[in-house]
Amino acid sequence: IKPPVCPFIQKHMFVYCEETFVYELPFHVEPKNIVEDDPQERVSAEAAILNSRVHYYSRLTGSSDRLLSPPNHVIPRPEEIYIYSPLGTAFKVTGSDQSSKNPSIITIFAIWNTMMGTSILSIPWGIKQAGFTLGILILIFTGLLMLYCCYVVLKSPKAIPYVDTSDWEFPDVCRYYFGKFGQWSSLFFSMVSLIGAMVVYWVLMSNFLFNTGQFIHNYAYNVNMSDSEFGTNGSDRVICPYPNTDPGGNFTISTHYLDNSGNDTSDVGSFEHWWSKTNTIPFYLIILLLPLLCFHSASFFARFTFLGTISVIYLIALVTVKAVHLGFHLEFHWFDTTQFYVPEFRLLFPQLTGVLTLAFFIHNCIITLMKSNKHQENNVRDLSVAYLLVGLTYLYVGVLIFAAFPAPPLFKDCIEPNFLDNFPSSDVMVFVARTFLLFQMITVYPLLGYLVRVQMMGQIFGNHYPSFFHVLALNILIVGAGVLMAKFYPNIGSIIRFSGATCGLALVFVFPALVHMISLRRQGLLRWPSALFHICLILLGIANLLGQFFM
Amino acid sequence: MFVLLMGKSGSGKTSMRSIIFANYIARDTRRLGATIDVEHSHVRFLGNLVLNLWDCGGQDTFMENYFTSQRDNIFRNVEVLIYVFDVESRELEKDMHYYQSCLEAILQNSPDAKVFCLVHKMDLVQEDQRDLIFKEREEDLKRLSRPLACTCFRTSIWDETLYKAWSSIVYQLIPNVQQLETNLRNFAQIIEADEVLLFERATFLVISHYQCKEQRDAHRFEKISNIIKQFKLSCSKLAASFQSMEVRNSNFAAFIDVFTSNTYVMVIMSDPSIPSAATLINIRNARKHFEKLERVDGPKHSLHMRMR
Repeated sequence: IKPPVCPFIQKHMFVYCEETFVYELPFHVEPKNIVEDDPQERVSAEAAILNSRVHYYSRLTGSSDRLLSPPNHVIPRPEEIYIYSPLGTAFKVTGSDQSSKNPSIITIFAIWNTMMGTSILSIPWGIKQAGFTLGILILIFTGLLMLYCCYVVLKSPKAIPYVDTSDWEFPDVCRYYFGKFGQWSSLFFSMVSLIGAMVVYWVLMSNFLFNTGQFIHNYAYNVNMSDSEFGTNGSDRVICPYPNTDPGGNFTISTHYLDNSGNDTSDVGSFEHWWSKTNTIPFYLIILLLPLLCFHSASFFARFTFLGTISVIYLIALVTVKAVHLGFHLEFHWFDTTQFYVPEFRLLFPQLTGVLTLAFFIHNCIITLMKSNKHQENNVRDLSVAYLLVGLTYLYVGVLIFAAFPAPPLFKDCIEPNFLDNFPSSDVMVFVARTFLLFQMITVYPLLGYLVRVQMMGQIFGNHYPSFFHVLALNILIVGAGVLMAKFYPNIGSIIRFSGATCGLALVFVFPALVHMISLRRQGLLRWPSALFHICLILLGIANLLGQFFM
Repeated sequence: MFVLLMGKSGSGKTSMRSIIFANYIARDTRRLGATIDVEHSHVRFLGNLVLNLWDCGGQDTFMENYFTSQRDNIFRNVEVLIYVFDVESRELEKDMHYYQSCLEAILQNSPDAKVFCLVHKMDLVQEDQRDLIFKEREEDLKRLSRPLACTCFRTSIWDETLYKAWSSIVYQLIPNVQQLETNLRNFAQIIEADEVLLFERATFLVISHYQCKEQRDAHRFEKISNIIKQFKLSCSKLAASFQSMEVRNSNFAAFIDVFTSNTYVMVIMSDPSIPSAATLINIRNARKHFEKLERVDGPKHSLHMRMR
């Protein structure tokens, strides 16, 4: 909807009070013409004629069409505009833009904060799956690719001519180029990433709640768990929760590790029975979280986003401390599998690319995030800096955990998809990390649920809250998915890589590349190298998804 | 006979036509790339002149070939060529090249055509540089156009220059305009009007006017034009057509009415004591006289042109 702007110049006041401005009346008569011979000009000549033009031109195009809208250099600056009510008072326009503008540093921080998700916990595992060297190379390469795709997404609304795209997000751009199909498919893939994140959250929340409870229980009853878990000795204990027998040799380990499915040998049998990571805790969480999901508005939870930042910073500190205490254990075996180490180049690398696709994913809201940047011309630079910082954070955490993982007693292959699982529940620093993350997730989970609800209900029913039962049904479905995953397949690495590759296929690789190529073609600027590059991007996206199934 | 509105794709021809002729631009019908066919507009003005829009010089070689093969068709029977240059264009050489090809075609097919060059989008140039840049372009264009004579205007849809340029163009197309003006002055003095305006029917561009005293608002012609065009747009939504209007208050009375087959007249009387009926009778009588004036001239300059 085009705002009824009819601004005006210099010292003279101008009238277009919103209530009296009616587009249908061509005979708007300016105040100076209907009073008696008033020597004082209330409206300057330039103001009056510009008003007449704007009024007339607005009749010639559709309301959202910006072809004949006055450009910024024609409209006077906000300081020169007055709004005058027919009742006689006049006041200055506070600023043409209601949204506040942030300096670059805040925008960069907002992007970093939004992108930093729980995928950070899976990066060391991802690097292990791909091999140390290959992992680092893939992280850098994927980061750059996704940065480019994000840049394409960011400038896609501006390449659309004649239409006012100032409040469009990327799904609107898809709808413009691909019609209903584009709208629905971008919505679907966006939902995949959101619901994938919510399932991961449920699994992780169960995990953290379990470990927190276990820590408190063990501390209170002075139970020592170290014999029942396979791990290093010493104060900085690292454990291997599910050790596999070594594939290469005769080496066997006799372990009796705590089997969480209940067949335990410990004395506190009833505690393990009622406090089980996969059997009971996912259900306890329902009591806490399902009501929170049914709230109308999520603005209460939006206040807690600072917890996410604190968690990440604490994790970085934790990783640094552990690395210092454990020291580096790196040996470079390029292609061969050894007992304790993994090769530098492994065929399982698509698992890392899948994880990274979700780790670097922000394409569905980057346009909105960048809108509040004060100096819009720096958008590309700020986006690049944000991606660089995110990449460095992931790299730091991934490399340090991988390098510091004590390989001679343990196997590098033990690195868990959630690297905190490699530390026993008695570790205090890790306990603090788990608690922070638990609180953070409890507050972000309803926010994610709200986003899913708004988008799905909005698209299907046109109303964000059609009725309590609709919303409850949706929430039960989402929570159910989370509980099922937490019970039967709590491997967050797999959930992340599959949902990442799926939503990345559409929203990172295919749609942005197609949109970019089509807009270039319409302007007649599409060249062969560019087209080839973008087609390769689409193929990479497809290969990424297929790789998740085959590797 | 045709009026060709030509220029590079994106130079502003569609917007210009929409504003001058009060055509609604629907977003869907607007193309996103270069036109490869002439846009027949069915806009008639000054009798039966038809306005055709044509994109000149896209990146498409296919379009170029089409242009050269259809040249004779496009440039035949052209009364006026209006060529639009985008002042911000980065490809000055190319623009001049295409302009020259058009001129060659005009010389071959319609050598009597009048040529106008509009240097458009001048609002994008800084105010203090506008005159300078326009002078440069005007010199180049005049030089390139020889032996044809071209008249140059600088225009922008965001100031009065567009309206004035088109008013000048239309003024030069009226065959016996000086005679019209003398008669108009006589008419105005006889009926004791403050001001009398003569508008072209389709565009409501002021062809000629008479005023007996200084008026304060220099932009009044464009404003009236805009108001009436908006009113016409509203009327057309109801499938009605605008014929005449009277506006009156204690200070003045204004009458807008059909005048001749190509024109409208607006009479402003500041003596409220003169009854409307008197003025309307005067206008009706004058109408017959002016119509005779229009028909006096020979077929070459006739405003009733053959349609294609």
